[in-house]
Amino acid sequence: MNKKILIVEDDIHISNIIKMNLNIVNYATTEVYDGLAALEAIERETFDLILLDVMIPKIDGFELMSKIQRHRIPVIFLTAKNSVYDKVTGLKLGADDYMVKPFEAIELLARIETVLRRYGKEESMMQFQDVQVNIDKREVTIHSQPVELTPKEYDLLVVLLKNKNIALSREQFLDKVWGGDYFGETRTVDMHIKSLRKKLHLQENIKTIYKIGYRLED
Amino acid sequence: MKFWHKIYLSSILSFVFIFNAACIMVIERNHSKMLQQEINSGISQNMNIHSSVNAIVPTLRIYDSIDYEKTVLTNIAKEFVEKNVDQHTYMDIMNDKGQSIFSNTDFKMPSQREELDKLAADEIKYILRDIDGRTLLFTTNITDINHKNYVFTYIKDISLVYQERLAQYSFFIRVGMAAVLLYMIIMFFISRGLTKPIKQLNQTAQIIAKGNFSERVQLKSKDEIGVLARNFNDMAAVVEDKINELELHNQEKQRFINNFTHELKTPLTSIIGYANFLRISKYNKEQLLDGLNVIYSEGKRLESLSLKLMDLILLQGDQYQLEKHDLVAIIAEIKSTMELKAREKHVTIATDCEKGSLLLEKDLIKIVIFNLVDNALKASAAEQIITIRAYWRGSRYVLEVIDQGIGIPKEHQDKIFEPFYVADKSRTRGNNGAGLGLSICQSIARIHHAIFEVSSEENQGTTFRLIFDQGEREGGGIQ
Repeated sequence: MNKKILIVEDDIHISNIIKMNLNIVNYATTEVYDGLAALEAIERETFDLILLDVMIPKIDGFELMSKIQRHRIPVIFLTAKNSVYDKVTGLKLGADDYMVKPFEAIELLARIETVLRRYGKEESMMQFQDVQVNIDKREVTIHSQPVELTPKEYDLLVVLLKNKNIALSREQFLDKVWGGDYFGETRTVDMHIKSLRKKLHLQENIKTIYKIGYRLED
Repeated sequence: MKFWHKIYLSSILSFVFIFNAACIMVIERNHSKMLQQEINSGISQNMNIHSSVNAIVPTLRIYDSIDYEKTVLTNIAKEFVEKNVDQHTYMDIMNDKGQSIFSNTDFKMPSQREELDKLAADEIKYILRDIDGRTLLFTTNITDINHKNYVFTYIKDISLVYQERLAQYSFFIRVGMAAVLLYMIIMFFISRGLTKPIKQLNQTAQIIAKGNFSERVQLKSKDEIGVLARNFNDMAAVVEDKINELELHNQEKQRFINNFTHELKTPLTSIIGYANFLRISKYNKEQLLDGLNVIYSEGKRLESLSLKLMDLILLQGDQYQLEKHDLVAIIAEIKSTMELKAREKHVTIATDCEKGSLLLEKDLIKIVIFNLVDNALKASAAEQIITIRAYWRGSRYVLEVIDQGIGIPKEHQDKIFEPFYVADKSRTRGNNGAGLGLSICQSIARIHHAIFEVSSEENQGTTFRLIFDQGEREGGGIQ
């Protein structure tokens, strides 16, 4: 089942771009544009996570946060101000993380994932066409037939699945799979992508994106 | 050394010096007077003896016997000594051969008697001698009896005069010590009291130096220190005002920066977000058009923001040449443009203007009117009327823009002239406003030495009033 995320953001364009980015990686989203509507939405449905802009009309973000504390929904707040005071206020009120505008979609996704994992809301199974990934067992199967992957290949596959339909650069792959302090060559990524395509028969789906990197496409 | 220490020590030192000098002078003068008296009395006693001996000399001349002379002289001396028995007086009579005729001294007469050198007859000489711890006054004369010279020495013990001086000194030392002690105690309090306000001033200065600028000296005296304290307080007040002003200015600036970043980052977030989405995601055609639209419109918004910001910055620096213009003519010039915009929203613009020739910068005034009408339009709903009124009120010329729109809540009214301040964010965002319009108007008003007034009632409408006070009424008259 897809995770449901509430986007509380008064700027319609920003709200849209967040929604598009979340939908593409299979999160379900609901958008509201002010604090009052957010409060109503939270009372009405359950959400796995809230993305909350601080400067919103009617009820501001911080006030809303203290009002919805009892629901125990993870909150990542969005702020345009890079002020320490705002961050501290937000985190003190129980927010799990914050994003300073402008932010990149990949970073937002990574933070959402981290917060969801902290709440134990991470998917334990991932599916892409015939390929099934059991996160708990670190096991990859095609039609119930296990596929042997090296640890790095496995990690690379998970990153691709989590960022489905989003292109990542070779540097981003290196960072996410091999870690920030790995000084490998981007060719390493190419090698692993090549072997993943072969082992999982994903030649058509793992696309090379010109000037950017790779993307897993439906 | 502390200031009060200095006052204290220097006053005590000078007191001790002056007191001692005065006392010593008094004692010494007293002493020398008494000594002189003793000497005078000694000399007169001697003269008494001399005259009584002289009275006998004729008798002695008759007898002319040394023994008889000796007896008579001894008798005179004895009589004298007996008369003055209570005083420490001595008599010594000696003939010219150095033989003693009479002496009742209880001490040995000095062998060297320099007073006898060149002692003429009928001359009295005196000398002071210290013998056996006593001070003795020797008065000496020579009397010629039967061509024989007899030396008469009258000796008086005047130790008492010296003892008296000593006694006075010891008394003075005791009195002096008591006086100094008393003086020290009094001066302690006086010098402490005198320097206390200085100490207070000092403490206050330290408190202020630590950043507590509202601290004041509490001193009510009217002397120089009181004046200093008052001046100090005045200075502290000026510093405090200045600092508060700076702080306010700083806060305003901080708010400006905060708002500016917000206004800048919001469109940037959209632009970067959409551009990146189109760059890396597998988008469909609808998303592409959507994205391009957002990137275009948000880019436009940034452009308008930067232009307005530029206006605001330029308005703060430049000197503008003001010329005489008729405000009514300017309004007429731009009315059609404004009406075009108003028609889209089905709003009517009405004008009701008195002729008024003012010192103006034409283009800037146009910006003000455009901005005010634009704001009024944003607040207005369809079928409402925006009125532009201009009239003379005494020597002042008033320009009003009145709408019947949603109004501005009371709590926002004093802040709407601040850059980036928008009363209702979501509304203004939709209208593509950054909240700079009124700031620009305010700056332009300042260039014209005009002031803004706002009166607004929620859901009743808002009146912006620009009041020109250029001192004299010109081109007036009701049209």
